Amino acid sequence: MTVVGYPFALFFSIFSFFQVGFNIDDFKRNWENRKLVTDTLFDPKWDWAIENASLALLETIQIAILASILGCFIALPLSFYASRATNQSTLTYVVYKSFLNFIRTIPDLFWAMLFTVAVGLGPFAGVLALVMFSLAIMGKLLSETIDSIDLGPLEAAKASGAKHTQAVFTSALPQILPNFTAYFLYIFELCIRASVILGLVGAGGVGRIIETQRIFLRFDRISPIIVLILVAVIAIEQFSVWLRRKIL
Amino acid sequence: MSIPKQPLNQRVLKYVITFLIIAGSLWSASGLEITPERFLTAPSKVWILITAMFPLDLSQEAIDRIVPKVGESLFIAWAGTVIGAFFSFPIAFLAANNFSLNAFSRVTKQILNVIRAFPELILAFVLLPITGLGPLTGTLAVGIHSIGTLGKLSSEVIEGIDEGPLESIKSSGGSKLNELFFGVIPQVMPTITSYWLYRFEINLRASAVLGVVGAGGVGAELINQLRFRDFPRAGTVLVVTIVMVLIVDAISAAIRRRIIKGRDIRV
Amino acid sequence: MIEFKNVSVVYPGGVNALNNVSLNIDEGDFVIIVGMSGAGKSTLLRTVNNLVKPTDGNVFIDSQNVTSASKKELKKIRSDIGMIFQTFNLVNRSSVLKNVLTGRLSQVSTLRSVFGLWPKNDKDIAFESLNKVGILEKAYVRGSNLSGGQQQRVGIARALAQKPKVMLADEPVASLDPITSRVVMKYLKEINQELGITTIVNLHFLDLAKEFGERLIGLKDGELVYDGKVDDVSDKDFENIYGRAIKSSDLLGEDD
Repeated sequence: MTVVGYPFALFFSIFSFFQVGFNIDDFKRNWENRKLVTDTLFDPKWDWAIENASLALLETIQIAILASILGCFIALPLSFYASRATNQSTLTYVVYKSFLNFIRTIPDLFWAMLFTVAVGLGPFAGVLALVMFSLAIMGKLLSETIDSIDLGPLEAAKASGAKHTQAVFTSALPQILPNFTAYFLYIFELCIRASVILGLVGAGGVGRIIETQRIFLRFDRISPIIVLILVAVIAIEQFSVWLRRKIL
Repeated sequence: MSIPKQPLNQRVLKYVITFLIIAGSLWSASGLEITPERFLTAPSKVWILITAMFPLDLSQEAIDRIVPKVGESLFIAWAGTVIGAFFSFPIAFLAANNFSLNAFSRVTKQILNVIRAFPELILAFVLLPITGLGPLTGTLAVGIHSIGTLGKLSSEVIEGIDEGPLESIKSSGGSKLNELFFGVIPQVMPTITSYWLYRFEINLRASAVLGVVGAGGVGAELINQLRFRDFPRAGTVLVVTIVMVLIVDAISAAIRRRIIKGRDIRV
Repeated sequence: MIEFKNVSVVYPGGVNALNNVSLNIDEGDFVIIVGMSGAGKSTLLRTVNNLVKPTDGNVFIDSQNVTSASKKELKKIRSDIGMIFQTFNLVNRSSVLKNVLTGRLSQVSTLRSVFGLWPKNDKDIAFESLNKVGILEKAYVRGSNLSGGQQQRVGIARALAQKPKVMLADEPVASLDPITSRVVMKYLKEINQELGITTIVNLHFLDLAKEFGERLIGLKDGELVYDGKVDDVSDKDFENIYGRAIKSSDLLGEDD
């Protein structure tokens, strides 16, 4: 495998770079344009950004909170069906596993585009998109975690005459709860990042403002918004790291 | 028989967490003006969209347009991953606190955090006026973001290595460089390579959406067809993308499994 | 009370774990099964509550056929059989009390158990069971914070909480040191004598079998090779069961 693998990877890399057009001439020509960005990017209009983007940023955070909670809690029962350890039926196992794999193949912004068409523009489409996004990630991570739980307690519960559902809830669920919490915080971070860009396709949040300013090349207005987002994302991430350490 | 009392924190924790989750959801939902009936009516609306996509537009013209765009996304993802892997690898050593100076490690980690905080799309439209409309911008955006994520993950792998082999090299008179090449790199390589591949899978999804801002790939195709309400063609875009992602995921996962297995044998 | 009739178990893959075993165990008996690992002890024990289904033959408890019981009947039967495991099989992250309450699952509605709304009566039974094995004060401690011996006592309490008629113990002391091994065996014996629960224990250690057992059953390669009183068993019988001379690893040794 190594003999074929490495040369192929190298060849494919070179081929890819040609395909994406790594062209020095174009690069040079466009380099002249950099002033368009750099002149304004480093001249942030703070007042404008705070006045116009704070509410949208709040909306972004609310989308991420609602979507990650809904997505993760929908994923919780599905994951038990998508694991061999807790689902004895091959048929439903395959169905749930394939369903989770399928929704994982569609990128978050594609979901957002589809939902804006289906349910209309606005944050609700964004929430639905990120629900699918969190559901897919949580479903994969959690079902793989359930695959490797200790089956002993389940056997003990079964041996005492418990129903399958009872055994799963009392003996399997507590084993994966710490993982679930850690994944939830991780997915919440991912959702915060992802929700920033939802507005680019009209699915709510701060991306909407970025999109309109971007069209007019108002990088002086965009750069402070980006900094605001950065601060929010890093603050939330630090909070989640702290929380993880605290409760796990 | 004196029954012990349940400690207060055990009793309270469950309710605190439940409260936080419910309160967070309600606060967000009310702020976004989302009502339960919107959730209830959503499935039927989605169903209408799905049925509008079938039968798919499989005309020669559509295929000729869509397949190259999907291919472009694939190349963006791969080239971006290569950029990410190439630059993140040395940076990861700078960021690892067991290999680099403490102050260095801290600064590098913070820089990586900042890079990671920029979504690919934001990077893409900042780069757009400089590098032009097209896949190059997408590649650079994916590449830069990957440096951040891969750098962080790789440095954590380096920090988690088993120090045993290093000591034996040191005790037999090996230099710092010997340690690096014969002690550290062989240990971390399998995990880091599998992270590269995993990142490639993620980048594939990221590169697919970059077209939305004109940075190349299949995203532009989807958003245009949806805007023109040409749902059969939008459906084709989706299906071709999904098939490509499924195939790449399967191949990449198979390779990752082999790499990780190889590591176990070496231990 | 428990009757094995020509029980055979062949695992998928062709391993013949039990071969035509017939056996009667009376109510209130304290039976010890010895044999090498792989002799079929665990399998035999698990046919009693049908965790392993015999490929041939039947097991009866109070003349009810366990092997051919329906799903619903089986749950009822299992609720009367407590089981103790070599690796304790506790949920490490849950409190001792929650682990013991698992033994009450068959008596509690699914909805209540899922939300952890245990009826007071069931909680009282759990506390009583913990009291019986002397670790009531640990009720709200996490399973993983207990020593091995304490964990096994939680395992016993969980089985006791079922108010069982039969107790199955699968190598209950194999993961414990000699002192705690004897403590655990002492509890099992006490429960058998005070509550009259029919008890079957799988053991590897011959001296422990002699010390606590009344009736001894020897298994070798899935076949019954000894069945008699512990007091009558000779070293020759043991060598026959083990198929080789007795080694020091077959003995638990003295407390020291």
